[in-house]
Amino acid sequence: MSDEEQLRALLALSRVTEPGSRSVHRAVQSRGAGAVWEALRRGRPCPPVSPALQAAATARAEGYDPAGDLARLERCGGRLVHPGHPEWPAERLDWPDGVLHDAPPLALCVRGPHSLTDVAARSVAVVGARAATAYGAHVAGELSRALAERGAAVVSGGAYGIDAAAHRGALDAEAAPTVAVLACGVDVAYPRGNDRLLARTAQQGLVVSELPPGSTPTRARFLVRNRLIAALTLGTVVVEAAARSGSLATADRARELGRHLMAVPGPVTSALSAGCHALLRDGATCVTRAEEVLDLVGVLGADAATPLRGPTSVRDELSETVRRVLEAVPVRGGAGEAALARDAGVSTLVVQQVLPPLLVHGLVERTPLGWRLTALGAGRPTR
Amino acid sequence: MTAVARSYAVGLVGLDGHLVEVEADLAQGLPGLTVIGLPDAALAEARDRVRAAVVNSGQPWPQRRITLALSPAWLPKRGSGFDLALAAAVLAAQGVVPADALSGRVLLGELGLDGHVRAVRGVLPAALTARSAGIERVVVPLDNLPEARLLPGITARGVGSLRDLVLLLTGEPYDETLPPAAPRLPLVQPDLADVVGQVPGRTAVEVVAAGGHHALLLGPPGSGKTMLAERLPGLLPRLSLEEALEVTAVHSVAGALPDDQPLVELPPFQDPHHTATVASVVGGGSGIARPGAASLAHRGILFLDEAPEFPARVLDALRQPLESGRLTLTRVGGTAVYPAAFTLVLAANPCPCAKPDSACSCPADTRRRYLARLSGPLLDRIDMHVEVPQITRAEMLADAGHVETTAVVAARVAAARRRAAVRYAGTPWRSNGQVPPVELRRRWPVPRSSVRDVDQALELGHLTARGYGRVLRLAWTLADLAGADVPGPEHVGHALTFRLGSAVGRLAA
Repeated sequence: MSDEEQLRALLALSRVTEPGSRSVHRAVQSRGAGAVWEALRRGRPCPPVSPALQAAATARAEGYDPAGDLARLERCGGRLVHPGHPEWPAERLDWPDGVLHDAPPLALCVRGPHSLTDVAARSVAVVGARAATAYGAHVAGELSRALAERGAAVVSGGAYGIDAAAHRGALDAEAAPTVAVLACGVDVAYPRGNDRLLARTAQQGLVVSELPPGSTPTRARFLVRNRLIAALTLGTVVVEAAARSGSLATADRARELGRHLMAVPGPVTSALSAGCHALLRDGATCVTRAEEVLDLVGVLGADAATPLRGPTSVRDELSETVRRVLEAVPVRGGAGEAALARDAGVSTLVVQQVLPPLLVHGLVERTPLGWRLTALGAGRPTR
Repeated sequence: MTAVARSYAVGLVGLDGHLVEVEADLAQGLPGLTVIGLPDAALAEARDRVRAAVVNSGQPWPQRRITLALSPAWLPKRGSGFDLALAAAVLAAQGVVPADALSGRVLLGELGLDGHVRAVRGVLPAALTARSAGIERVVVPLDNLPEARLLPGITARGVGSLRDLVLLLTGEPYDETLPPAAPRLPLVQPDLADVVGQVPGRTAVEVVAAGGHHALLLGPPGSGKTMLAERLPGLLPRLSLEEALEVTAVHSVAGALPDDQPLVELPPFQDPHHTATVASVVGGGSGIARPGAASLAHRGILFLDEAPEFPARVLDALRQPLESGRLTLTRVGGTAVYPAAFTLVLAANPCPCAKPDSACSCPADTRRRYLARLSGPLLDRIDMHVEVPQITRAEMLADAGHVETTAVVAARVAAARRRAAVRYAGTPWRSNGQVPPVELRRRWPVPRSSVRDVDQALELGHLTARGYGRVLRLAWTLADLAGADVPGPEHVGHALTFRLGSAVGRLAA
């Protein structure tokens, strides 16, 4: 069978079967994609594919043109990466049958100017809620930017909220590429609002999907997609997740695959951090900075985090007034402007003038309960 | 007996007035009455009102063929305000009143069948028209007399009935005392000192008042957004006479002037409900469009509570007035231009469920979509994104010593506005909120030492380039409030708070 036919068969199979089917994956491994496609197309039994699944696939194969999908993939500047392809990250994707509920992908559609296997070799997933808070989006963006600057590729799902902030942060670093793993075709801009972000990712990073071009996302496809995010990376960081968030599914997959699982804590009052806190209770590693992430997943030594010594550059320049306000900001809970003014012995006007720049420098943050120190602001060496 | 007589009235198209000449001709022929010159339905009915009023006032009605012509003939004429002029022309044509008593006088008023004169809308703009046409004497319904007397250079007389008019025109005395007005309740302005525990919110409305910046208040229910907005008019300086006349004219045309308040002296506050239609907010109606809430808020505050709940069409329609300060409404009957230079204040909950942050369990996309309804060109014109935090008990206690009354803050606002007015003398702008950011940066540069924090915020991606311009504009207002000549780093730092970290800020970026 020629290469071209092999590619067509793989794309055809991903078109007529849903991703992650273990029986289809086993059949392809034992008999080859070409033979399985031929059998399904002609409606012949193809064990271990169940008759029901085979009938569904045969129905979907009716009138299907395998050459069309390949042409469409090439038109959008994509390529098909499959087992045996030099870009195939075998050690990440070929997990043994039964480790996960779903099988590894048959092949991946990839857009972007990097080698998937090289990028995956040093990559971290940053995932979280779509309805992110300002805090979550900020942390995801800063964390991803710092990870990219230190050479780690940030992998996420291209959704709104944390995902988008992570991709943006990584793109802004203009260092290591970022990878968007989609639950639809690589040429489909979903969600629509992120179309430019995805286009930029395809230009400067990688956009990956196991679905053929033009596919639309479904609920099931999102869940199956999450295993890819977990599998491709050395570890997964959950930045903000509500108690029943989809990103917790990614976290579960990471754990099942034996990858590092990390979570960023949030305000204990925030429903959007409840999932993260549950992960932390179950043994996920608490991370607050890119160094801590790399410390866990990276090569020991090169990436080891230096203990935080405090924001020397910023803090050393702080005036006496600013210092007093900063000392009044609590580590936990939150305090309003009037309370801070009382505790710092300055006017409320001064408090309002001092806080926003401290927010810009990442020393304080706004919560529903008022102002509070960030990890950076709290890590003060001298008092 | 004179066969033809003339009187004068004013026809309004929106706020634009035209002097209208009324001619009465009594001709031989079958007795009857015709009104010509593009009358609308209400004016055509004047035939019956005028006849009944004249007869019931004990005046003779000519048994002739009467033609009443209103000119200029091309101008569409609306409403019942011409009754008095029509009746006077008929009476003059019969010689009941001297014809020369009508020249140099504008007559306004609607007649009841028994001959008494009812109040009409738009007396102030009509009197303005008369004055600019060189006519100084105006006769108005007695109830409208206080309104007509506002205008310097006008001699206004009030008549309570057609009989009074006859006495006035024949030079006889009559009773011109105003009916006693209901005792005016002292206007209770809500005080800013009531909003305890809400320091950032109080500062925000002070900045809105001082700089005329449009603002979005974003916060959970119960955080005081509506209270803050309602206290804004009290913080704004009183209207100057010129401004008051402008505002009163609009309210007069809309029929929105209270009986006991002929002149709108305080900046108006309009808060249409979110079920309001486009016509009620920007103005509309058939024939000639009437002013809506946006024009009634001219030189004051237009407050949209629960802003994302407003229909997108209403929010979009506000773009023109935000840009130009006026509204041009074209209908079949003509084009009306109303002033609409208001300060826009929007309020929104972070989520349609309107629960406090911790209790909100709405699905991911709901919150995002809710605020996204506001995104786009409207938000581009809004300088301030104010996060109004939940009020906590601890903060209320701590704040008790910091609250300032409306009077104290209003004095600071007035001083800040004076500073800005001096700076912008000789330019088309009056307040910081009006100056385009590009011009502001070119003509009134902020020292480099002041902008370090905002530069850094831009570099770190907390701010967009647009946000940067807005921060500088707000810094000028904060400097004006502090009495500083140029914004210092503390003012720029403070201004940052209105562009940082809000969910809507990110949408607008």
